Amino acid sequence: MELLESLKDRFLDRLSPGLMRSALLWQSAEGLVRSPLNRPGWKADNVSLLYFLRYSRLAFQQKKPVIWASLLFPSELIHAGGLIPFYPEMAAAVISRLGLASRFLEKAAEEGLSSDACSFHRVIWGSYSEGFMPEPQLIATVNYLCDSAPLSFLRVSVLDNIPCRILEVPFEENEESIINLASQIEELAILLAKLSGKRWEDYLKDLRETLVLSNRAREHLLEVENMRRNFPYLLDGKDALGHLSVLASMFGHPSAIEFYKKLAKEMKERANEGGCTLSQGKPYRHILWMHLKPYYSDSIFTYLKEHGARVVCEEYNRCYWEEMDPSRPFISLAQKLASHFGIGPSEKRTNNILRLVKDHRIDGAIHFNHWGCRQSTGSTLQIKQALKEEGIPFLSLEGECIDEREYQEGQIRTRLEAFLESL
Amino acid sequence: MVDPSGFEAFWFCAYTPLEILDAAGFTPRRLLGDKDGLEEADSYLHPAFCPYVRACLVEGLKNPTAHAAIFVNACDGMRRLHDAWKRLCGSDFIHLLDFPRRNDIHGLRTFQQSLSLLIDELEKFTGKRITLEDLRNAVNLRKEVRRHFHDLSQGSPGSERLKLAQKAQQLDPEEFLKLRAEKPWQAEGIPLVITGNLLNPSGLVALVEEHGVLLVGSDLCNGERPFMVEGEATGDTREELISSLAEQYLRRRHCARMSDAKRRHNQLLHLIREREARGVIYASLKFCDSYIYDYPLAEKFLGNEGIPLLRLESDYQDGHAGQLSTRIEAFVEMLRG
Ligand code: SF4
Ligand code: SF4
Repeated sequence: MELLESLKDRFLDRLSPGLMRSALLWQSAEGLVRSPLNRPGWKADNVSLLYFLRYSRLAFQQKKPVIWASLLFPSELIHAGGLIPFYPEMAAAVISRLGLASRFLEKAAEEGLSSDACSFHRVIWGSYSEGFMPEPQLIATVNYLCDSAPLSFLRVSVLDNIPCRILEVPFEENEESIINLASQIEELAILLAKLSGKRWEDYLKDLRETLVLSNRAREHLLEVENMRRNFPYLLDGKDALGHLSVLASMFGHPSAIEFYKKLAKEMKERANEGGCTLSQGKPYRHILWMHLKPYYSDSIFTYLKEHGARVVCEEYNRCYWEEMDPSRPFISLAQKLASHFGIGPSEKRTNNILRLVKDHRIDGAIHFNHWGCRQSTGSTLQIKQALKEEGIPFLSLEGECIDEREYQEGQIRTRLEAFLESL
Repeated sequence: MVDPSGFEAFWFCAYTPLEILDAAGFTPRRLLGDKDGLEEADSYLHPAFCPYVRACLVEGLKNPTAHAAIFVNACDGMRRLHDAWKRLCGSDFIHLLDFPRRNDIHGLRTFQQSLSLLIDELEKFTGKRITLEDLRNAVNLRKEVRRHFHDLSQGSPGSERLKLAQKAQQLDPEEFLKLRAEKPWQAEGIPLVITGNLLNPSGLVALVEEHGVLLVGSDLCNGERPFMVEGEATGDTREELISSLAEQYLRRRHCARMSDAKRRHNQLLHLIREREARGVIYASLKFCDSYIYDYPLAEKFLGNEGIPLLRLESDYQDGHAGQLSTRIEAFVEMLRG
């Protein structure tokens, strides 16, 4: 956070679309990350930060074709073409973290977008309109996790004539539906190969290579997950939720391997030094976090920690897929995508949660009901029931991930207090 | 194995392939939900959820009779309704069909697969094969229903047209075909087109008409939209007919969940011009993301064409719709100019 603070101090007042395109902003930011004064919570954080700064610079300067991708769109396909992936939903989280969301939320409202829409997408509309999002050459979406991305990205496609493609993952996973999805992926790959200027054979070769890289990053991610099972308090949920951007956009790029490798290594070192295991002589309560977090404030996590509880596992921030077979890239990517717990019936999501509860010896579970997120809030009651049967207390916490103005600190505290008592 | 005759198949989304349910021997009936009991849904679905979906769940909870329930994977709302229904409403047969957003070759393939899957499941359930003959009869029957709807709705005002469309969606087709025109309509008012998802005919729609508006077109999924079908499903084999049916559904006049916004907006413009409407009421149920994201685009498009537009939102019960009166009045006054 300190790094973000110094960035804010230096640039916030002068922030303009022109500045976003200037090398100065990005180079200064990269300089700050590299400076010995920057002491990140984890050394791995520098790897992801440098990656994002570099790719944001390339995207704003339009050095190569920019591909807007929604959260679950396989980044491997974009990296294989050496193109620039840009995940607007992740950018919205950064905008909120920097305290800049309200201006863009207001802009979206001016454009007629209702405040009942998910604020991730309202920020995307507003910031795009004001020139604070890099322009895409192609928009690539997936019909999950939710309806918002395929609908919201249409704005850019319709008003600015940018081609938009959607991958439609079938509700039921079976042989036929995977083949159907694989052929949709292949069609998109052909388009990406064209945009990259590579010959199809070369693109395919590089795609196989990105799958190898993706598999290697996955191995290290599993190591991190294993460490968290054995040493639950090493990596706090609020930090781990920040890694979602790595999960969404860096797989297939060597930086993802470096990130998880460094993280696993540092976790081992800290575990050897004793780590932190107790809260005033007692073990912490283990909390499972479902859905995303408020990006503008860490106070929920601080409050939990101060009251003897820690988020030790997050539903979204997990490896959900099997190792891929690089010799069958399209089928493998189709299987990866289709295996996500959010695709299909709520039962699939619930079963995944029950598995996490066992794996991480969970004492209580919190579902963050982000306003406007139909897909996640639509299954909370089923999850609550399933957890009740396992005797796990459940808190359904109404809130906002992006819009700080809607943050109800008092109300959230009262609910957390009651929940912690029930543990 | 179950004898499907007289067995109701509840459906919810206007993309449900009724021909297949007919061919399997079911009596399809669209549920419109229990509007008055909406709050009862709070225990199962979040309040910031499509009120149509919530109302349907409440109706389902109160329905102890044997039934089949067919869902379309059209939106987050429908997906979650399917999940909740499965757990809570004890259907004898329950199925969710994928319906693509794209209407290209991949979309077509997805929908063909969905239809075949539905047919397989229905055949397993009833123990009876759906033949080419069954499908042909059903295709013809639904064509008759659409034709009859157009005949009866000639010249009728919007709320009546909506009620008629609902009858066509709820009655046994044979029963619907027996309905006769009530009287020649002599409706007057400022001609407008209403567009949106699904509206309460006696709520917001009636309120709009009370303000001197004549709704000459209802581009709604419980209005005219599902009846505006181009082309016919044909085929010499069962497989050909199924794939032609899939194509016909994908070629339809679409709602805002589909990706082809430009085509949809142009079709709306065409309807406005054809019916000589002086403006548009863009009205939708709250919390429907398809229409939430479409509205600013439609506003811009129609604005560029010089078409006046009024945006209204409905909670389906429309108990407080009266509060919208001032805005409707101002809009109508402006058009009277
Ligand atoms: S928070 Fe929910 S509604 Fe918003 S983009 Fe994510 S999944 Fe979609
Ligand atoms: S009105 Fe909208 S949210 Fe409701 S069922 Fe229809 S498409 Fe889904």
